[in-house]
This record gives sequence, structure tokens and C-alpha cells, in this order.
Amino acid sequence: MEAIVLRRVSKDFRKNTIRREYTTLKSELVRLLKRQRRPGAPAGVIHALRDVSLSVPRGRTVGLVGRNGSGKSTLLKLVTGIYRPTAGTVEVNGRISALLELGAGFHPDFSGRENITVNGIILGMSRREIRERMQQIIDFSELGDFIDEPVRTYSSGMYARLAFSVATHVDPDLLIIDEILSVGDEHFARKSISKMEEFRRAGKTILLVTHDMGTLQARCDEAAWLDGGVLKAYGDPAFVVSEYRKAVAESELQAQVQPGLPAAAPVHATGRQPRAGAPAEPGRRWGTFEAEVVGVHVRAPGGAERAVFDAEEGLEATVDVVQDAGLASPTLEASVFSADGTLLWRGVQPLPAVPAARATLSLERLGLADGNYRLDLAVFAEEGRMCCDFQKGLHGFAVRSTGGNAGLLRPVHRWKVEAAQPR
Amino acid sequence: MIRNLRELWQYRALLWNLTQRELKARYRGSALGFLWTFLNPLLLMAVYGLVFGVIQRTNIQHYTYFLFVGLLPWLWFSSSVGAGASTISDRRDLLTKVRFPAQVLPATVVATNLANYLLSLPLMVGLGGLVGIWPSWHVLLFPVVLFVQLVFIVGVSFLVSALNVAFRDLQQIVNNVLTLWFFVTPILYRPDDIPAPIRRLFLIANPMSVIITSYQGIFYEHRLPHWRALTVVTVGSFLLLWLASRVFEQRREEFAELV
Repeated sequence: MEAIVLRRVSKDFRKNTIRREYTTLKSELVRLLKRQRRPGAPAGVIHALRDVSLSVPRGRTVGLVGRNGSGKSTLLKLVTGIYRPTAGTVEVNGRISALLELGAGFHPDFSGRENITVNGIILGMSRREIRERMQQIIDFSELGDFIDEPVRTYSSGMYARLAFSVATHVDPDLLIIDEILSVGDEHFARKSISKMEEFRRAGKTILLVTHDMGTLQARCDEAAWLDGGVLKAYGDPAFVVSEYRKAVAESELQAQVQPGLPAAAPVHATGRQPRAGAPAEPGRRWGTFEAEVVGVHVRAPGGAERAVFDAEEGLEATVDVVQDAGLASPTLEASVFSADGTLLWRGVQPLPAVPAARATLSLERLGLADGNYRLDLAVFAEEGRMCCDFQKGLHGFAVRSTGGNAGLLRPVHRWKVEAAQPR
Repeated sequence: MIRNLRELWQYRALLWNLTQRELKARYRGSALGFLWTFLNPLLLMAVYGLVFGVIQRTNIQHYTYFLFVGLLPWLWFSSSVGAGASTISDRRDLLTKVRFPAQVLPATVVATNLANYLLSLPLMVGLGGLVGIWPSWHVLLFPVVLFVQLVFIVGVSFLVSALNVAFRDLQQIVNNVLTLWFFVTPILYRPDDIPAPIRRLFLIANPMSVIITSYQGIFYEHRLPHWRALTVVTVGSFLLLWLASRVFEQRREEFAELV
């Protein structure tokens, strides 16, 4: 039995709705008097969701991932029934409790207890159910004596705890959660997680949006990845997460680093401006440009150009260097920085005195933790005293590995686990 | 209309709780507390009593009591419609986050103001007693008139609150219309004071005059309401409610997107 079935669902929003340009009676009247037609062609449309088909079997926990504005919340609101789809059908079987926002309808001047009643009714509980569960809800929220104080005196954590308690005591068949499991302190977060686990064991369907990939892989049976309103991947969480993270890493690098240097530009007679690549700019690229890096390619060993690597993979960077004749002892310097600017490694390589050279740096195994890395390159002459071309923050790569991989380094390692005698 | 009202019935607990909350919120934390219910009509009555009873010297006997009889149901109507206009467009927090029948919101406003009306009735009766007018058996018809007015107010509130989501200037227009409407309704004066040629028009075209004069008949003149007029208004009110529910149903899908 399916709990949620979406068939080719699309949702459009009119742009004037998003910009909150309301029609007014006055403008309608004026238009009528002037005998104008409706203004222009239909205003612009935003496609929040495009042709999404998805079916969630009963009892499954499904995590939704995607960047901001990718349509996750719209999807949740369609399932909840707050929005109607522009095209396609949404079918939901069972009672829904949606946690799209904590404490929707809370009145600040009323006590926690009074707000439990109203919020509970809004979420679909009957008055009898609320009376029966009141004590459970209060106990779960751990608000103690505060329950009879007005909620405006609550801290945001207390507010969230109360709201979460009410919502999870609705006893729905289908629980919809939008990025809120991170509320409250660590203790309450653990309680929330265990509440969710309780739901899972009771065979309820859960649909949640989360940005915590750990939660997703640990708590979800399936994952769906939305990008620009399109369902990019659906299935095994580990697979979906790795696809999603690769895509995010690639776009982050694009933002952080300029794309590979373009083909050579005309040579400047003065030698003050670089011949190829990014223009000289303080803090990004500087030097005498008597020698310079004209091309950089980062790739897997022997493979095509890439930006995202697994920690166990190798990396190959080819650097093309041109230099004027008569430069004394030119050297090429490569440095790897982590995203926070920590220097991880710097290597210096002397270059031969030829007009054009290609240097290839091979790292047999990256051995770095997940993250985005900067590759700075520099050409020096006269034993490092003269800077010919320094390129800072123009190149980089990202590391995304499967399995836990945090910190700075990923040493060559091995786990061994065997049964042991109980003590 | 049936579906609309049935949903409202299903969510009666919510309606009840929201109304309770509104009433409590209005009086919580204010020193005079519950007395505020009476203060507004009393002040209005004092002002109009001064202008028309003392300065203009109307020939209506027990003018302050007469005023009160018409003013209270009018305040129920005008506060419900005036505040009801923005009741859906103001609740973005609820409509975009939870699924629940939006008609509960205008219904809450109507119910809150109904409660205020009913709670100030003892004051009205007391005031009548002060000048020697006690309720007669005609009071038995009070629930009938009350019900007709309820249907009428719910109809207008549904219509105005649903349309105000798309046309945001409606609430300003409504408030201005209400001011005008007040003066063309026989509250400050008796229907007999209207010049004869336009009297019929005043009474036929304005359902509120029929309702208000019915109250005045019951409480002030001790006579029965005009049956024909009241029947027409009853039918009209149900038609209005039917129309308003249809408009409401058609528009409710866009509420979440437009608010």
C-alpha cells in the first residue's frame, strides 16, 4: 500500500504573486472604465516543481535533499494539501501531521497549556484526544512549571520543544517534517530522534526535509534529491547523498574558483600584463609576468578533467609555463590550502630554461578529508627572490568520499573487527 | 454551501477555542477587564445621546435606550465585517503552514462579536429598566431575528474575507462603506422620521434596516417585527450565504498562494 503517490506533478507560481503585487479593486475599475484588456500576456511563471513522479510505500522514511529553492517545501505543501498542483495528481492515504513550521497558530499571550489545545485542534486532534494526551505532551516538552506561563516568555528552544511535542502527539499515519529536527539542545534533539524512531517502528510513513546528510543516511530508508524543481535522483540514501554532494561540490568550486584558464591571449609588449588567463589583480594574480602559468588542468590520473575526487583516488595537475629568455633559475611552486586557509602542503620544482614547459604534478593518493581545497600556483625566478606570476585562489578541487570522513587528513588505514570474549 | 458549513461544524472545536481565545485576549491584562465589552457601545451611546438627545433634541422618548437597542446589533455587524475583511489575508502564518478550513477564520470573528453582543444585552435590559421599559413577551422572537442576522453577517463576512485576499484595498472600501451604511440605517432615528417618498426604498434596499427595526420592535416598541420584510431578508440572507460560500470555495485554493 502506498502512502503517498505523486503522478507527474508540476507546480507553477505566478511571478506577480511572488512579488506580492496585488490587484486592487481600484485598478480593476480603472481598467474597466478605460476598456483595457487584462494587462499584457499572462505574467511570468516560476516553475517550482516540474513533472515530479514519486511514490512512497507505507511505513517508509523518506528524506528530501536539495539546495534552497529547489522545491522541497513546495513538495511538502502539496502533499499536505496546502497547495493544489498545477498539473498532475497527489494522492495521500492516511492522517497527516505536518511540521512545516513549529508553533503555527501559537498565541504569544496564552499559556503553553492553552496553546497546546488550539495547536492540537489545528493539527487535527479532537478535544478528547488532547485532554487525554495533555500530560504526555507536557512531560515530553519538559517545560515543567513554565507550561502555565505565556509563551511569549519562552526561549526559542522552549517554544520549539512545545511545538514539537504537540505535533508528534497527534498520532498521524504520515508525518511531514521540514528541517526542524535540529531544534532545542542536544538532549532534546536526541529525544526527537528517538521519537522519530518510535514512529518508524510503529510503521508510520515519514517524509522529511533535512540538510544533515548524517541524519539522512542513518534514519531514512530512501532519499529523494530535488534540483531546480526536478527530481534528480530517488532511491538508496547513500547513493542519493553522494550524487547530491558531488553536484554541490562542483557548483561550490565554480563559485570559488575561476574556470580553467582560457587559450593564450595576445602577448603584451610591456610584459606587465599576463598573456593568458585571469588579468592581474591584487590578491589574486600578480608578478612581473616575465614567466607565467598559461594553462592548468586538474584530472584523475590518465583521465579526463575533473573537480571532485574521492580521498582514495589520485590527482594529476598539468601546468603549462612560458618564460622569457634569460630568466635565472625559474621555479614552479604549488600549494594546497584547505577551505579555511590552512596550508596543507607546498612543493617547489625547478624548471628548465626553455620558452615553454609542461610540469605535471602527480599525487598518487589524495588522502584528504571531505572538503573544498585551493590549489595556488606560482612561478619564481632568481631562486625565489623574484615573483613572476602568483595565482591565488584561481584553482581548486573538492574531495567527497563515501563513508565517514571528517577532519583534515585521511591516512591510509584499515579497520579490523572481530568477535571477542565478553568480559 | 452545505459542504462549507459542514466543514465548519467539523471544526467547531477549533472555532470554539479560537473564539474563547479572542475573547480572553481582548480582556487579558487590562485593568477594566471584561468591562471593555461595554465601554465601546456606552461611549458611542454617550456621544450620539449628547448630539441627538441633548443638542438636537429628538422627539424620541427614552432616546438613550432606543439608541442602545439599535447600536448593539449594528456593532456586531460592523465589527464582524470590518475585522472579518482582513481575517484571512492576515493569517499567512496559519494558511501557508497548516491545512485547515479557512472559513473558520471569518466565522471566529463573527462568533466573537456575537458573544460580545450577547454579553452586553443585560446592560441594555438594565438600562431599559432604569427608564422603566421592561422586556415583554415579544422577546420570544429575539432568537429568530438573531438567527437571521447571523446568516446575513456570515454571508457578508465570507464574501468580503475571500475577496480581500485577491483585492487588498477591499478592506479600506468596506470600512468606508460601513460608515455610510450606519447613517442610512435607522439606528439614530426612527424609520418614521425618513421622508415618506424615500422611506420604502430605505427599508427595502437595506437588510440591516429590517433587522434593526425588528430589534427595536421587540425591545422598544413592544410589537412584532414586520413579517413580510423579515421573511424577504431571511431568504435574501440565505441566498447571500449560498453565493458567498460558492465564491469562498472557488477562491480558497489560491489563499495559500496569495496571502
